[in-house]
Amino acid sequence: MADSNSRDKKSKSQHPAKGSGHGTSSWGDVIRNSSDTHRLFVFAGGIGGVALLLSVALGMGDFKRFQYSYLVAFMWTLSISLGGLWWVTLQHLVNAKWSIVVRRVGELIAANIGLMAILSLPIVVPALLGNSDLYVWVDSHRMQENHVLHQKSAYLNVPFFAIRVVVYFGFWFLLSQHLLKSSLKQDSEKADTQTVRLRRLAGPAMMGVALTLTFAAIDFLMSLNPMWFSTIFGVYYLAGCVLAIHASLALTLLWLQKRGVLVKTVSQEHFHDIGKMMFAFTIFWAYIAFSQFMLIWYANIPEETHWYLLRAENGWLKVTWFQLIGHFILPFAFLLSRHMKRSRTALALGALWVLFVHYVDMYWLVMPTTFVEGPEVHILDLTCWVGLTGVFVAAVAYRARGLNLVAVGDPRLETSLAFENV
Amino acid sequence: MPTMAGTAGMITLTRPRQLEEPQMSEMHHKKPESQEDAPLFGLLAEYNTPSELILASQKVRDAGFTRWDTFTPFPVHGIDRAMGIKMTRLPWLVLGAALAGLSLAIWLQWWTNAVDYPWIISGKPFWSLPANVPIMFELTVLFAGITAMVGMLVMNGLPEPAHPLDLKRRFARATDDKFFLLVETRDPRFDEVLTRSLLEKSHPAALEDVPEDRTTSAQIPTGLIYGLIVLTAIAVVPFALFAKARTTKSRNTRIHAIADMDSQPKFKTQRENLIFADGRSMRDPVAGTVAQGQLRDDDALYLGKVNGAWARTFPSQVTPTAELMDRGEQRFGIYCAPCHGQSGEGDGMVHLRASKLGQGWVQPSNIHQQYIREQPVGQLFNTITHGIRSMPAYGPQISAEDRWAIVLYLRALEKSRAANLGELTAEQRQNLK
Repeated sequence: MADSNSRDKKSKSQHPAKGSGHGTSSWGDVIRNSSDTHRLFVFAGGIGGVALLLSVALGMGDFKRFQYSYLVAFMWTLSISLGGLWWVTLQHLVNAKWSIVVRRVGELIAANIGLMAILSLPIVVPALLGNSDLYVWVDSHRMQENHVLHQKSAYLNVPFFAIRVVVYFGFWFLLSQHLLKSSLKQDSEKADTQTVRLRRLAGPAMMGVALTLTFAAIDFLMSLNPMWFSTIFGVYYLAGCVLAIHASLALTLLWLQKRGVLVKTVSQEHFHDIGKMMFAFTIFWAYIAFSQFMLIWYANIPEETHWYLLRAENGWLKVTWFQLIGHFILPFAFLLSRHMKRSRTALALGALWVLFVHYVDMYWLVMPTTFVEGPEVHILDLTCWVGLTGVFVAAVAYRARGLNLVAVGDPRLETSLAFENV
Repeated sequence: MPTMAGTAGMITLTRPRQLEEPQMSEMHHKKPESQEDAPLFGLLAEYNTPSELILASQKVRDAGFTRWDTFTPFPVHGIDRAMGIKMTRLPWLVLGAALAGLSLAIWLQWWTNAVDYPWIISGKPFWSLPANVPIMFELTVLFAGITAMVGMLVMNGLPEPAHPLDLKRRFARATDDKFFLLVETRDPRFDEVLTRSLLEKSHPAALEDVPEDRTTSAQIPTGLIYGLIVLTAIAVVPFALFAKARTTKSRNTRIHAIADMDSQPKFKTQRENLIFADGRSMRDPVAGTVAQGQLRDDDALYLGKVNGAWARTFPSQVTPTAELMDRGEQRFGIYCAPCHGQSGEGDGMVHLRASKLGQGWVQPSNIHQQYIREQPVGQLFNTITHGIRSMPAYGPQISAEDRWAIVLYLRALEKSRAANLGELTAEQRQNLK
C-alpha cells in the first residue's frame, strides 16, 4: 500500500462519481450504491408520503389526536437524527478511530435535521396560531391559573417558543450540514485538514448540541405538562437519542451489507462496538430514568408526583412496567454477552427491539398527559409513524445516492479498517 | 514491568504454572549464589516489529508449545490469536460476583430495614425497593469491578516479584521499542537444538539464552515483612483509640478539632448576654410597636378566650366546613399523631419507640378521656398553643387557623368514639351494617 502506484489507483477509483452505479474502494469493497438506495427512496418515500397524506385526512376529523400521535412519531424520528448529530460530533470530539468506517452513515442520518425542521411544522404552527390542544401554555389565560404557571410563563410563551424553535433547528441544520460537507470535501482532499478543523469545532459544537437538545426536549415533551418539574429531563431524552442512533446505525449497515455494500469495510469488530454503545446506553437510560423517578418518589411533593401518578394509574401502569422490563431488563440481559453483540442476527434483533421500546418510551412521555384512561392505540399512531419514518428513510436514501458511504479521505481510515476489539 | 502482549484478552494461564514448579520451591531455601553455570531457563528471541513477532508466535503455536510467552511495549492486536490463547473465563467470574453483590445488597437492606430495625422513614414501607436501588447498583458494580481487577491479577499470576528475564539487559527494551518471545525449558516440547533452530527460522534480531535466576532470593525481603507488620500495627492504632473512647469515661474535656465551629461567637436563645442590663439574649420588640402581621387583638381567635373564660364555640372567623375538617385531619397527622397516635389514644410512633427505650418517658394523653372531652374548644386551642405538662408549645409552628382546624378534627375524633346511634341518619345507619 505504501508505493505511489497503488495510491494513484486508489484515488482514481475513489473519485466520487455521482449516480454512476457501484463504486469500489482500494481495498476491493463496494462503497457506493445508487440502484438499491434509489429503490429504497422510491419505496420508503411512496409509503411514507401516502401514510402522511392519510394522517392529514384522518387528522381533519380529530385534530387533537392527530397532534398527539404526530408528536410521538416526530420525537421518535427527531431523536434518530439528533442522536446522529450528537454521535458524529462525539466521534470528532474524542478523535475516535474505530468509527471512521461507519461515520459517513451517521453523518447522512444527522443531515436529516433539515427535513425534521419542515416536519415539525404540524406541531409548531398550531401552537403559533394559538391552538392549545397540545401545549396548554399557548393559552396565556391558563398560565395565570396559579403562581407556578405564572412564573413559568416567562419562558413558556408563544413568541419565545418561536424564537427557540428557530434557534434549535437553525443550529442543528448548520452543524449537520457542516459535518457532512467537510467530510465529503475530505473524500477528495485526502488530507487531515478537515479532521483537525472538525476536532477543534467539536468541543463548542457538543456544548451547543447538549444545550439545544435539552431545551428542545423541555419545550416539545416536558412542557406538555407545564406544572411539572424535572431537572434531568433533557438527559433522559438524550439517552433515547443515543440508543436510537446506534440501533439505526446497526440496521442501516446490515441493510447495506445485505446488498453487498461495505462488506469488507465494516467488520464484526465495528458491529461489536455499536452493540457495546447500545448496551451501555440501555444502562444509561435506566440510570437516568430511575434517578428522575427516585427523587420524585422519595420527596413525594404533589407538583412533581402528579406526572408519575398519571403513569401509575389506569392502563398506564402496565406501560410503566413495560418500560422497566422492556426498555431495561430485557435488552440488558440480551446484549450482555459479547457473542450477541458480535452476531449480526442478534444485533439486528436487539436494534429493532431498542427502536420499538424507544417508540413506546415516546408514547409514554406524550400520551398520558391527555389520554389519562390508558393507552388507546389509534390508527393515527400507525399512519403518523409510518409516514414520518418512511419520509425520513427516503430522505437518507436520497441523500446517500451515489455518495461514498465511507469517509475514504480520512487519513486514519486504515486504522479504522484494521480495528480489533482484542 | 513490560506489558503482557495484548490487553484483557491476554489473561493467559502460562504464568501461574511457573509458581507450581517444584524446582522453584526448592530454590526458596537456597542462598543466592553465582549466576555462572546456572541451568537454562529458556530461549529469548527479539524482534523489531510486531508483525515479525506475530509470525514467529504462529510458528511456535503451531509447533505445539504451551509454556511460552510474548512481551511487547504496547498491546498488539491479534497476538492472542497468533499465540493460540483461548477466550478468558473472567467474564463469568465477574457476572457471578455482580449477582452476588446484587443479592447481598437486597438482603442487607431487607434485613436491616424490615427485620432487625424496622422503622418508618418518610412514610414509606419498611422495606421499600425504590429506596434500595442505589445500593443494589453500587454493590453490583463494586463486586464486579473488584472481581475483574483481582481476577485479572490472579489469573495472570501477578504480582510476580522476580523473573529470570529481569536479569537480561536486552529485555529492558520490552518497555520501549522491542518485541520478545520466550520459550521456557519446562515446556514438554522443548529441545535445546530443535527449539533454537525453530526460533532462528523466524529471523529474530537476536536470540539469547536465558539462565535461571540464581542471584535473586525467591524469599520476600525481611525488611519488607517487618515494614508491613509495623505499618499494619500503626494502621490499627486509630481504630483502637476509637474503640477505647467508646467504652471508657474520661474527666478530660473533649478534643475540639475545629474549635470555632464547636463554640461559635454568637448568642443563642435563652443564653445569658452580658451586653444588656437584663442579661437576656432575646430582646423584646420596641415598646409600643407591633411587627407587621403580628397584631393579635382578637382574643377569641388567638387565645381561645371570650371575656376571660375559655370559649365554648369556634370564633366567628372559623367556619366548620368539610375542607376545614380535612385540613385539621392533615395537620393532626403531621403534628399530633407522632405522639398521640392516629386515633388519639396516646400510642403514636414516638411513644412506642420511647417506651421501648425506657428512659423515663411519660405516655401522651389519650384524648378520649372524659375530662378532655368535656374541655371547651378554647381550652383545647390553648393547650395546642402553649403545650401542657411535657407536651411542648405548638403555637409558633402552627398558624391559629390550623390550630382551630385541629381542634375541629379533635372534636370529630372524640365524637367517633362516643356517638349515639340516634345521632346518625338512616343512610349512615345502613352503612354500619
